[in-house]
Amino acid sequence: MSAPLEGVRIIEMGQLIAIPFAMKMLADMGAQVIRLESTGRLESYRGDSVYQNDISGEFWNKGANFYEQNRNKLGITLDLSKPEGLAILKELIAVTDVFSENFTPRVIKNFGLEYEDLKKIKPDLIMVSSTGYGFYGPWANYGATGPATEGAAGLAYQTGYIGGSPVMAEIPYTDYTSGEHTVFAVMAALMHRLNTGQGQFIDISQTQATSSTIPEVLMDFSANGRTGQRMGNQDVAMSPHGCYPCLGNDRWITIAVATDAEWQACCRVLGQDEWAADARFEDSLSRWQNRNELDALIGPVTSPREAHELMRALQNAGVAAGVVLDSKDLLFDPHLKERDFYEVITHHDSTGIPPLPYAGRPWKLSNTPAVKGKPAPMMGEHNVFVLSELLGKTTEEIAALEESGIIGYGPTIPRPVQRPPLDEQVRQGRMQRYETDFEEQVRKAFPA
Amino acid sequence: MNQRALEGVKVLDLTHHITGPYCTKLLADFGAEVVKVERPGGDPARRMAPFYHDEVDPEKSLLFAYLNTNKQSVTLNLKTEKGIQVLKSLVAESDVLVENFAPRVMPSLGLDFETLQKIKPGLVMTSISNFGQTGPYRDYKAADIVEYAMGGLMYIFGAYDREPVKHAFNQAQFKAGTDAAAATLMATYHQRLTGEGQQVDVSIQEAVATGLRDVVNNYTYSGAVRRRQPNHSGDLSRIRASADGHLLPNPGLGAGFSWDSLVEFLGLPELDDEKFNTPSARLVNAEELGRILDDHFIKQNKYDVFYASHEKRFIFGVVQSPEEVMADPQFKARNYFVDIDHPALGTLKYPGAPFEMSTTPWEARSAAPTLGQHNQKVIGEQLGHSPEQLSQMRANQII
Repeated sequence: MSAPLEGVRIIEMGQLIAIPFAMKMLADMGAQVIRLESTGRLESYRGDSVYQNDISGEFWNKGANFYEQNRNKLGITLDLSKPEGLAILKELIAVTDVFSENFTPRVIKNFGLEYEDLKKIKPDLIMVSSTGYGFYGPWANYGATGPATEGAAGLAYQTGYIGGSPVMAEIPYTDYTSGEHTVFAVMAALMHRLNTGQGQFIDISQTQATSSTIPEVLMDFSANGRTGQRMGNQDVAMSPHGCYPCLGNDRWITIAVATDAEWQACCRVLGQDEWAADARFEDSLSRWQNRNELDALIGPVTSPREAHELMRALQNAGVAAGVVLDSKDLLFDPHLKERDFYEVITHHDSTGIPPLPYAGRPWKLSNTPAVKGKPAPMMGEHNVFVLSELLGKTTEEIAALEESGIIGYGPTIPRPVQRPPLDEQVRQGRMQRYETDFEEQVRKAFPA
Repeated sequence: MNQRALEGVKVLDLTHHITGPYCTKLLADFGAEVVKVERPGGDPARRMAPFYHDEVDPEKSLLFAYLNTNKQSVTLNLKTEKGIQVLKSLVAESDVLVENFAPRVMPSLGLDFETLQKIKPGLVMTSISNFGQTGPYRDYKAADIVEYAMGGLMYIFGAYDREPVKHAFNQAQFKAGTDAAAATLMATYHQRLTGEGQQVDVSIQEAVATGLRDVVNNYTYSGAVRRRQPNHSGDLSRIRASADGHLLPNPGLGAGFSWDSLVEFLGLPELDDEKFNTPSARLVNAEELGRILDDHFIKQNKYDVFYASHEKRFIFGVVQSPEEVMADPQFKARNYFVDIDHPALGTLKYPGAPFEMSTTPWEARSAAPTLGQHNQKVIGEQLGHSPEQLSQMRANQII
């Protein structure tokens, strides 16, 4: 059994999440992804969230999110501001199937790396550019972060507590939405190339991909000229539909009731026979009309209950319910464990990071599973391999490239982010809590 | 003339609601031939709001109309033997089958992968479900909010001192639908190269859990459990109120910009201070920084600040209402909203290409089908049933 994308080569000039995440997914499924980095402009994720918050030594090989987004890739460094560096990139593009990047169009144009330039080097090249707002148009050169495009797309406007301000995900959410679309887009282009031999240019607008996932809002405005209110956790049809407190500090359960039978079961599990007989809640329409009263009644009843126990009781009675899993619950979740969702990856000895579990993929292909996970590359780890094996450079040529700083093995300006100590982060409210025996807990649950 | 990207890929679509139909919409919009099989009462999404002019009618759900462009619709009662027989004839003609029933449904209909693969060797069968096809939560029920909770995104979403909240509407369903479309193509690519089929198991919970940052790895790297952030967290990318709405005044420091240049752009000399001029210092003095920024931006107009920031190459963002999205000059220049004509809805503007492909562009070839619109064409002509046989099937409530 081989991975489905074996034989597909991808050059990645990515940063942060949008393109690195998408290319990781393709690498997991067998593509050879060669990730390009700059020693002069350090990838932010190499210098942040480092293991044990210890920024001493080669901190750039210890960043959590770098490892998260770049497993199974080969890593090379190239200084593209020097003509020799740019020439090597073009030599690589001449022997690749896909070139992917997420810089602004201005950067790509300055380097002469637009699709029109590159298809002269590789006529059947598939090039994918992922930008905040799209590769052309008046906002094309506007840099963007995930939150910016979550705002531009119309998603943030609709999200938030009733009567409150817009609320945004506390992750670069649209990087993933657009990254998921990028994986699909590259696969569609590979299918077309398989059929016809033709390459093409894929222009991912992170905003546009995100707007494509909120038809409820955009179609309503388009057809009815209407803009809805922020609804918190309430639904347009179901009630109860919300997030309710449980026993403990910051513990919560979600419950979503669609049918009368589910409502009756929900009342039984919560021990509230009188609600089941209450005319205000007798059918889905009346429950929805009285949803604020219903939400106010449920919280006090769930709050003495243990969240996981209540979830099991509700689910066993046929009611959709789920614990709001915190990061530790999510890591140790028995269902995800049973499905081998996390994969333990062994890091290079010199990093001092023990083998750790990482989130896998949302799909399982029965016949062509993912490759066995290798850690993200250390800086410049595959310089020699790529330059010699793929481009036939000699040892002397490679030494000369290192001498002139075209390739390298560490940042020219080391700039790690020192996070405050964990007890300070808890005091500030950034963290809920921390555990000092986490290494042992992780090792026990996820042996290498 | 250019081919479509997925020209010649035949998809049998047994999906309903949102996640499965978004998967098959992506396949159809890029050229796959998608036959959607609906129960005789129709996909439940036909009864989902919003409706055109609030007219509750199975042909007027705007959500359904969006999710089912470029598909053909046939109706089949899979609780009848004849219905199953017709379905199996359709499987024999297909490269790919996509379904999003609860995991026990397909086997209970005698439509497990082993059986279907005998009918069509090389079949790719994609199943999307709440928690996947295996594991202790396999048969748990869910709604989008439950997936947000169980996927780990909700705990860190919302106000520090309130209940967690989720994104509006059905984001988890769309995520899993997109993932399923990508995974389906990986399996189809392998099928084209080797002739081999396989099963693709997509979990909505895992779709959410795949797309996080500093959640599980905060624990594995430091033992910390993250929570919803207090309003002043030192994070410059946080949303802030303007006089007329909201914006994201994230300067993009580190990408070539200095703190000094931001201080100058904002005209806030009080920020020219060691308390704020490094990322580490900003984390320590987060609360004070947050107050200064809030007081500043509440007096500004969001688009003025947005455009001015980009003149200086800062990467501020703006929160747009649906109306503003539809008037956005960037979307206009890219022709994102496209007119589609539908028999019951007339011509409306729909969100169009989620991304652009230069050789094989996104296309709106046809509007969402009316219920059973293609019974005659697909079950009649393609499968070779006579008009009499079709009438009989209709009389027996099979179609």
